Amino acid sequence: MDFVLDYISVSTFWTILLIFHSLLAVVLLGALTHQAIAVAMPARQIAGQAGFVTRFRSVYGAAYASAVCLLWVLTFVLGAWIYTKYRIAIRIPLERTGYWKTLGFFELKEHVAALGLGILPAYWYFWKNAKNPKYDHIRKSLTVLLAVMCWFAFLVGHVLNNARGFG
Amino acid sequence: MTATVELTTSKTKAPSLATSEAFGIFATAFAIAAPIIYVVSELASLPLFTYHPGTNRVDLGWAAARPNEGPAMYWYGWIATMLIGSTVVGGLAMALPRRISENIPLFLIWLLPLLVLPILAYALMPFWTR
Repeated sequence: MDFVLDYISVSTFWTILLIFHSLLAVVLLGALTHQAIAVAMPARQIAGQAGFVTRFRSVYGAAYASAVCLLWVLTFVLGAWIYTKYRIAIRIPLERTGYWKTLGFFELKEHVAALGLGILPAYWYFWKNAKNPKYDHIRKSLTVLLAVMCWFAFLVGHVLNNARGFG
Repeated sequence: MTATVELTTSKTKAPSLATSEAFGIFATAFAIAAPIIYVVSELASLPLFTYHPGTNRVDLGWAAARPNEGPAMYWYGWIATMLIGSTVVGGLAMALPRRISENIPLFLIWLLPLLVLPILAYALMPFWTR
Protein backbone atom coordinates (compact mmCIF):
# COMPACT_ATOMS: atom_id res chain seq x y z
CA MET A 1 0.00 0.00 0.00
CA ASP A 2 3.03 2.29 0.35
CA PHE A 3 2.88 3.41 -3.31
CA VAL A 4 -0.43 5.15 -2.54
CA LEU A 5 1.43 7.40 -0.12
CA ASP A 6 3.54 8.71 -3.02
CA TYR A 7 0.41 10.50 -4.24
CA ILE A 8 -1.53 11.36 -1.09
CA SER A 9 -0.59 12.23 2.46
CA VAL A 10 -0.89 9.73 5.28
CA SER A 11 -3.77 11.62 6.88
CA THR A 12 -5.60 11.80 3.51
CA PHE A 13 -5.20 8.03 3.10
CA TRP A 14 -6.71 7.30 6.52
CA THR A 15 -9.43 9.91 6.00
CA ILE A 16 -10.45 8.21 2.73
CA LEU A 17 -10.60 4.84 4.52
CA LEU A 18 -12.67 6.41 7.29
CA ILE A 19 -15.10 7.89 4.74
CA PHE A 20 -15.52 4.47 3.10
CA HIS A 21 -16.05 2.96 6.54
CA SER A 22 -18.72 5.60 7.27
CA LEU A 23 -20.45 5.10 3.91
CA LEU A 24 -20.63 1.35 4.43
CA ALA A 25 -22.02 2.00 7.91
CA VAL A 26 -24.70 4.29 6.46
CA VAL A 27 -25.81 1.61 3.98
CA LEU A 28 -25.80 -1.02 6.74
CA LEU A 29 -27.77 1.28 9.03
CA GLY A 30 -30.37 1.88 6.32
CA ALA A 31 -30.74 -1.82 5.54
CA LEU A 32 -30.98 -2.88 9.16
CA THR A 33 -33.39 -0.09 10.09
CA HIS A 34 -35.68 -0.99 7.18
CA GLN A 35 -35.57 -4.66 8.10
CA ALA A 36 -36.06 -4.07 11.83
CA ILE A 37 -39.06 -1.79 11.31
CA ALA A 38 -40.56 -4.23 8.81
CA VAL A 39 -40.20 -7.17 11.19
CA ALA A 40 -41.17 -5.35 14.40
CA MET A 41 -44.05 -3.31 12.97
CA PRO A 42 -45.15 -5.05 9.77
CA ALA A 43 -47.46 -3.03 7.55
CA ARG A 44 -51.05 -4.19 7.37
CA GLN A 45 -53.04 -4.27 4.17
CA ILE A 46 -54.65 -0.87 3.75
CA ALA A 47 -57.25 0.47 1.41
CA GLY A 48 -56.05 3.26 -0.87
CA GLN A 49 -52.55 4.49 -1.49
CA ALA A 50 -49.79 3.55 0.95
CA GLY A 51 -47.92 6.45 2.55
CA PHE A 52 -44.18 6.80 3.20
CA VAL A 53 -44.28 5.09 6.60
CA THR A 54 -46.34 2.17 5.33
CA ARG A 55 -43.99 1.68 2.40
CA PHE A 56 -41.03 1.90 4.80
CA ARG A 57 -42.57 -0.93 6.84
CA SER A 58 -43.51 -3.02 3.83
CA VAL A 59 -40.06 -4.17 2.68
CA TYR A 60 -39.40 -7.89 2.32
CA GLY A 61 -36.98 -8.42 5.22
CA ALA A 62 -35.49 -11.71 4.03
CA ALA A 63 -34.03 -10.00 0.98
CA TYR A 64 -31.80 -7.89 3.24
CA ALA A 65 -30.22 -10.69 5.29
CA SER A 66 -27.21 -11.58 3.12
CA ALA A 67 -26.51 -7.92 2.32
CA VAL A 68 -26.62 -7.03 6.03
CA CYS A 69 -24.13 -9.82 6.87
CA LEU A 70 -21.78 -8.79 4.06
CA LEU A 71 -22.02 -5.11 5.00
CA TRP A 72 -21.45 -5.83 8.70
CA VAL A 73 -18.31 -7.85 7.88
CA LEU A 74 -16.97 -5.28 5.38
CA THR A 75 -17.64 -2.36 7.74
CA PHE A 76 -16.08 -4.35 10.58
CA VAL A 77 -12.92 -5.26 8.64
CA LEU A 78 -12.40 -1.71 7.43
CA GLY A 79 -13.05 -0.39 10.94
CA ALA A 80 -10.59 -2.91 12.38
CA TRP A 81 -7.94 -1.68 9.95
CA ILE A 82 -8.59 1.98 10.84
CA TYR A 83 -8.51 1.04 14.55
CA THR A 84 -4.74 0.40 14.30
CA LYS A 85 -4.16 4.01 13.24
CA TYR A 86 -6.80 5.34 15.65
CA ARG A 87 -4.99 3.78 18.63
CA ILE A 88 -1.96 5.97 18.06
CA ALA A 89 -3.06 9.01 16.07
CA ILE A 90 -6.44 9.66 17.71
CA ARG A 91 -6.70 7.99 21.09
CA ILE A 92 -3.41 9.19 22.55
CA PRO A 93 -4.09 12.89 21.80
CA LEU A 94 -7.65 12.52 23.12
CA GLU A 95 -6.30 10.93 26.31
CA ARG A 96 -3.99 13.91 26.74
CA THR A 97 -6.92 16.30 26.39
CA GLY A 98 -9.09 14.33 28.81
CA TYR A 99 -11.84 12.95 26.52
CA TRP A 100 -12.12 9.86 28.72
CA LYS A 101 -15.85 9.23 28.40
CA THR A 102 -15.77 9.66 24.62
CA LEU A 103 -12.93 7.13 24.47
CA GLY A 104 -14.79 4.80 26.84
CA PHE A 105 -17.86 4.82 24.62
CA PHE A 106 -15.66 4.13 21.62
CA GLU A 107 -14.15 1.08 23.33
CA LEU A 108 -17.70 -0.07 24.17
CA LYS A 109 -18.64 0.40 20.52
CA GLU A 110 -15.79 -1.93 19.54
CA HIS A 111 -17.19 -4.54 21.95
CA VAL A 112 -20.68 -4.08 20.48
CA ALA A 113 -19.38 -4.53 16.92
CA ALA A 114 -17.58 -7.74 17.95
CA LEU A 115 -20.68 -9.12 19.69
CA GLY A 116 -22.73 -8.34 16.58
CA LEU A 117 -20.26 -10.31 14.50
CA GLY A 118 -20.87 -13.32 16.73
CA ILE A 119 -24.61 -13.41 16.09
CA LEU A 120 -24.46 -12.90 12.31
CA PRO A 121 -24.48 -16.61 11.30
CA ALA A 122 -27.59 -17.26 13.39
CA TYR A 123 -29.29 -14.09 12.12
CA TRP A 124 -28.57 -15.15 8.53
CA TYR A 125 -29.84 -18.69 9.09
CA PHE A 126 -33.12 -17.58 10.70
CA TRP A 127 -33.80 -15.10 7.88
CA LYS A 128 -33.02 -17.73 5.24
CA ASN A 129 -35.72 -19.81 6.89
CA ALA A 130 -38.16 -16.90 7.10
CA LYS A 131 -41.14 -19.13 6.32
CA ASN A 132 -40.56 -21.28 9.39
CA PRO A 133 -42.86 -19.84 12.10
CA LYS A 134 -40.71 -21.50 14.78
CA TYR A 135 -38.09 -18.80 14.15
CA ASP A 136 -40.42 -15.77 14.02
CA HIS A 137 -39.63 -14.52 17.50
CA ILE A 138 -35.86 -15.05 17.40
CA ARG A 139 -35.65 -13.52 13.92
CA LYS A 140 -37.43 -10.39 15.15
CA SER A 141 -35.31 -10.16 18.34
CA LEU A 142 -32.00 -10.58 16.53
CA THR A 143 -32.86 -8.07 13.82
CA VAL A 144 -33.93 -5.40 16.33
CA LEU A 145 -30.83 -6.12 18.46
CA LEU A 146 -28.49 -5.79 15.46
CA ALA A 147 -30.23 -2.56 14.40
CA VAL A 148 -29.81 -1.07 17.89
CA MET A 149 -26.15 -2.17 17.95
CA CYS A 150 -25.59 -0.60 14.56
CA TRP A 151 -27.18 2.71 15.59
CA PHE A 152 -25.10 2.79 18.77
CA ALA A 153 -21.87 2.08 16.88
CA PHE A 154 -22.69 4.62 14.20
CA LEU A 155 -23.49 7.44 16.61
CA VAL A 156 -20.48 6.79 18.84
CA GLY A 157 -18.18 6.66 15.82
CA HIS A 158 -19.68 9.88 14.53
CA VAL A 159 -19.22 11.68 17.86
CA LEU A 160 -15.64 10.44 18.16
CA ASN A 161 -14.85 11.68 14.67
CA ASN A 162 -16.26 15.07 15.70
CA ALA A 163 -13.94 15.07 18.72
CA ARG A 164 -10.91 14.32 16.55
CA GLY A 165 -10.60 13.07 12.99
CA PHE A 166 -7.54 12.10 10.98
CA GLY A 167 -7.18 15.49 9.24
CA MET B 1 -42.70 -52.01 -31.99
CA THR B 2 -42.66 -48.65 -30.35
CA ALA B 3 -40.58 -47.56 -27.50
CA THR B 4 -41.79 -45.05 -25.07
CA VAL B 5 -39.44 -42.88 -23.23
CA GLU B 6 -40.56 -41.49 -19.98
CA LEU B 7 -39.11 -38.16 -19.20
CA THR B 8 -39.06 -37.11 -15.62
CA THR B 9 -38.18 -33.76 -14.30
CA SER B 10 -37.00 -33.20 -10.84
CA LYS B 11 -37.77 -29.97 -9.07
CA THR B 12 -36.19 -30.88 -5.77
CA LYS B 13 -33.92 -28.14 -4.49
CA ALA B 14 -30.25 -28.85 -4.00
CA PRO B 15 -29.31 -28.79 -0.30
CA SER B 16 -27.76 -25.50 0.76
CA LEU B 17 -26.34 -23.93 3.90
CA ALA B 18 -29.57 -22.00 4.39
CA THR B 19 -31.69 -25.15 4.51
CA SER B 20 -29.19 -27.30 6.41
CA GLU B 21 -30.38 -28.22 9.90
CA ALA B 22 -26.80 -28.95 10.86
CA PHE B 23 -25.78 -25.39 10.00
CA GLY B 24 -28.72 -24.11 12.03
CA ILE B 25 -27.41 -25.98 15.07
CA PHE B 26 -23.87 -24.75 14.40
CA ALA B 27 -25.00 -21.12 14.03
CA THR B 28 -27.14 -21.29 17.18
CA ALA B 29 -24.34 -22.76 19.32
CA PHE B 30 -21.82 -20.35 17.76
CA ALA B 31 -23.99 -17.34 18.61
CA ILE B 32 -24.58 -18.52 22.20
CA ALA B 33 -20.89 -19.25 22.80
CA ALA B 34 -19.53 -16.07 21.18
CA PRO B 35 -20.48 -13.48 23.84
CA ILE B 36 -19.44 -15.80 26.67
CA ILE B 37 -16.05 -16.54 25.15
CA TYR B 38 -15.54 -12.88 24.25
CA VAL B 39 -16.23 -11.58 27.74
CA VAL B 40 -14.13 -14.33 29.39
CA SER B 41 -11.31 -13.61 26.95
CA GLU B 42 -11.48 -9.91 27.84
CA LEU B 43 -11.77 -10.30 31.62
CA ALA B 44 -9.26 -13.11 31.96
CA SER B 45 -6.79 -11.53 29.51
CA LEU B 46 -6.93 -14.39 27.04
CA PRO B 47 -6.48 -12.81 23.61
CA LEU B 48 -5.13 -15.20 21.01
CA PHE B 49 -2.51 -12.59 20.19
CA THR B 50 -1.47 -9.06 21.05
CA TYR B 51 -0.83 -6.44 18.40
CA HIS B 52 1.58 -3.54 18.92
CA PRO B 53 0.54 -0.90 16.35
CA GLY B 54 3.59 1.29 16.92
CA THR B 55 5.97 -1.40 15.69
CA ASN B 56 3.59 -3.80 13.87
CA ARG B 57 4.72 -6.52 16.24
CA VAL B 58 2.42 -9.47 17.00
CA ASP B 59 2.89 -11.53 20.16
CA LEU B 60 1.09 -14.78 20.82
CA GLY B 61 -1.30 -14.55 23.77
CA TRP B 62 -1.36 -11.58 26.13
CA ALA B 63 1.69 -9.32 26.14
CA ALA B 64 2.24 -6.04 27.94
CA ALA B 65 3.07 -2.86 26.04
CA ARG B 66 6.83 -2.54 25.64
CA PRO B 67 8.65 0.59 26.77
CA ASN B 68 9.04 3.17 23.96
CA GLU B 69 7.07 1.03 21.50
CA GLY B 70 3.61 2.53 22.03
CA PRO B 71 0.45 0.82 23.24
CA ALA B 72 -0.59 -2.83 22.95
CA MET B 73 -3.93 -3.83 21.40
CA TYR B 74 -5.86 -6.87 22.59
CA TRP B 75 -9.19 -6.41 20.79
CA TYR B 76 -8.07 -8.33 17.69
CA GLY B 77 -6.89 -11.18 19.88
CA TRP B 78 -10.19 -11.30 21.81
CA ILE B 79 -12.07 -11.53 18.53
CA ALA B 80 -9.79 -14.31 17.27
CA THR B 81 -10.32 -16.20 20.54
CA MET B 82 -14.10 -15.70 20.21
CA LEU B 83 -14.25 -16.83 16.57
CA ILE B 84 -12.11 -19.94 17.07
CA GLY B 85 -13.74 -20.89 20.38
CA SER B 86 -17.26 -20.43 19.02
CA THR B 87 -16.44 -22.44 15.91
CA VAL B 88 -15.28 -25.31 18.12
CA VAL B 89 -18.44 -25.08 20.27
CA GLY B 90 -20.60 -24.95 17.12
CA GLY B 91 -18.85 -28.01 15.73
CA LEU B 92 -19.35 -29.91 18.98
CA ALA B 93 -23.03 -28.94 19.07
CA MET B 94 -23.48 -30.52 15.64
CA ALA B 95 -22.32 -33.82 17.10
CA LEU B 96 -24.91 -33.73 19.88
CA PRO B 97 -27.89 -36.07 19.71
CA ARG B 98 -30.80 -34.42 17.96
CA ARG B 99 -33.07 -34.49 21.01
CA ILE B 100 -30.56 -32.23 22.79
CA SER B 101 -29.58 -29.93 19.91
CA GLU B 102 -33.23 -29.35 19.02
CA ASN B 103 -33.88 -28.05 22.52
CA ILE B 104 -31.16 -25.41 22.70
CA PRO B 105 -33.03 -22.29 23.92
CA LEU B 106 -32.93 -19.78 21.08
CA PHE B 107 -33.59 -16.76 23.29
CA LEU B 108 -30.03 -17.07 24.63
CA ILE B 109 -28.78 -15.75 21.28
CA TRP B 110 -30.18 -12.26 21.92
CA LEU B 111 -30.12 -12.35 25.72
CA LEU B 112 -26.42 -13.16 26.24
CA PRO B 113 -25.01 -10.19 24.28
CA LEU B 114 -27.29 -7.94 26.34
CA LEU B 115 -26.11 -9.55 29.58
CA VAL B 116 -22.40 -9.27 28.81
CA LEU B 117 -22.58 -5.62 27.75
CA PRO B 118 -22.87 -4.24 31.31
CA ILE B 119 -19.93 -6.44 32.30
CA LEU B 120 -17.85 -5.09 29.42
CA ALA B 121 -18.93 -1.54 30.29
CA TYR B 122 -17.88 -2.18 33.92
CA ALA B 123 -14.48 -3.37 32.69
CA LEU B 124 -14.08 0.04 31.09
CA MET B 125 -14.46 1.74 34.49
CA PRO B 126 -11.19 3.72 34.23
CA PHE B 127 -12.73 5.62 31.32
CA TRP B 128 -15.90 6.51 33.26
CA THR B 129 -14.27 7.57 36.50
CA ARG B 130 -11.46 9.86 35.31
